Amino acid sequence: MNHIGRIGWMLIGLALSLASAVAMADVVAVVSAENSVTALNKSQLADIFLGKTNRFPDGTQAAPIDQAEGSAARNEFYDKIVGKTAAQIKAYWSKIIFTGRGQPPPTVSSSLEMKKRISENPAAIGYLDRSMVDDSLRVVF
Amino acid sequence: MRNDEAFGQSRKPSLLSKLQALTLLTTLTMWHPTRATAEDFGGSMFSVNGFGTAGVVHSSDDKADFATPYEPNGAGYSRNWSASVDSLIGAQVTANLTPGLTAVLQVIVQQNYDNTYWPHVEWANIKYQFTPDLDIRIGRMVLPTFLVSDSRKVGYGNPWVRPPEEVYSLNPITTLDGVDGSYRLHLGDVTNTLQADYGRNLSIQFPAAHLDAPYAAGIFNDTEYGAALLHLGYLVSNLTVNAAPALFAGFRRLGPLGAAVADDFDAVNKSVTLLTIAGRYDPGRWFVMAEWIRSRSESYIGGTTGWYVSGGYRVAAFTPYLTYSQVSERTTSIAGLNPSAEPAYLAPTVASLNAGLNQLLASRPVQYTSSMGVRWDFMKNFDLKVQLERINLGAGSVGTLINIQPGFQPGGIVYVISTAVDFVF
Repeated sequence: MNHIGRIGWMLIGLALSLASAVAMADVVAVVSAENSVTALNKSQLADIFLGKTNRFPDGTQAAPIDQAEGSAARNEFYDKIVGKTAAQIKAYWSKIIFTGRGQPPPTVSSSLEMKKRISENPAAIGYLDRSMVDDSLRVVF
Repeated sequence: MRNDEAFGQSRKPSLLSKLQALTLLTTLTMWHPTRATAEDFGGSMFSVNGFGTAGVVHSSDDKADFATPYEPNGAGYSRNWSASVDSLIGAQVTANLTPGLTAVLQVIVQQNYDNTYWPHVEWANIKYQFTPDLDIRIGRMVLPTFLVSDSRKVGYGNPWVRPPEEVYSLNPITTLDGVDGSYRLHLGDVTNTLQADYGRNLSIQFPAAHLDAPYAAGIFNDTEYGAALLHLGYLVSNLTVNAAPALFAGFRRLGPLGAAVADDFDAVNKSVTLLTIAGRYDPGRWFVMAEWIRSRSESYIGGTTGWYVSGGYRVAAFTPYLTYSQVSERTTSIAGLNPSAEPAYLAPTVASLNAGLNQLLASRPVQYTSSMGVRWDFMKNFDLKVQLERINLGAGSVGTLINIQPGFQPGGIVYVISTAVDFVF
């Protein structure tokens, strides 16, 4: 006799779909496979994406690229590397822009666009869902 | 919900077709027509950004005005609810002229010292980036004297409605026309930025006085390690303030001793130094910041010490915060000219001049404020803040209040409530 019942199966199905949703939102930082960088820590990533440096630890040029404002990938990325919300990141960049110190990284409108930009520029670094990673990219965080 | 239950059919979709449907759905939701604009990838030279605040303030004391330093009126006596204290709008054009050369122009509209709303230029400079870590700027700059001095008008960037007045009102020189250089050093995970500024022929108009400085020079250093920041600043200038000209002229008519009192207190060609130390820890879920500043001048401006501590905690889109801030003066009253140094018939004149001098000294702010508020990031690019302040004026002091009316009681307690909407675009 199936004691789980219809409600039980629905709940299990819901749990599994939530688990797969979480797995889908596993954002990773990526560079071109041609880039010499193999791994970066949170602090190094934060320095690059927050404009504090435009070089990788090995001294080569780093060109960060953001996903669109409000996208799940962007929100999860910044939560992961600096624990800040989209509003906090915006507030941070407002202070930089309005003191003439710089501009935020350029944005792309999708993960496909992100892959294209990274493949065009070996110095580029971006982030996207792990499921989108292929041989042209290397995961660095 | 299983498909067959949803559609009331007994057919079960195969695993393969489920994957196909999922893939199609994923691809459709994630793929958009390319929207990266020319500005994003170096195609356009200009970018336009702006910021603003729309806010109202109410003060419990209607015999004086609560306002910020350059404003001629505010909340309390002049208006029950004042929108001029915090409201402003700013727009900025940034031009990337060549890969290393950038020009910035920022114009702000807010209440001016003369109660007009003519726009004024806040930033106008050209920056040359020698290397990613070394740059020089020529033109108009706002000095990064305190932690958020150079972005104090960008409400969206700060946790409070306005930076604590006990510290932020203490620097009369906020902007200078001159040159500055910045050098950034990377040592492992530490980033250190050193900035030096020099400006000439400063002329600053306040509602009640005019300030001239032939030069101002400052050196400012930020050391960052993860979420921690340490800020040091040192500013030096030479000020001439035309405050109370009749008072000091009166002293100068009373022989060498009277002239000595005038020389001690009149702010004519007087050196002013400002030293500040600040720290901030901002790991994301919460923040704490503290600043301390000491200014010294051999004039009635005197020796002022100001400091504050502020902290907040983020819960979803809300960030409540608390602040305690204090400002005090080294000298709040003096005996002045000794009446016995002058002929007896001049005794009332001496007494009157000494009283005037003490009144001038009492106009220097002494107060402490406890405040609490909350910031709500209710939608993209906007925030709403509500803040309540309890200002405890020092004995005999008017604190940071202006437009003192007859019947005002110095040394009392004033409650100020402010609400503001900040935005950036």
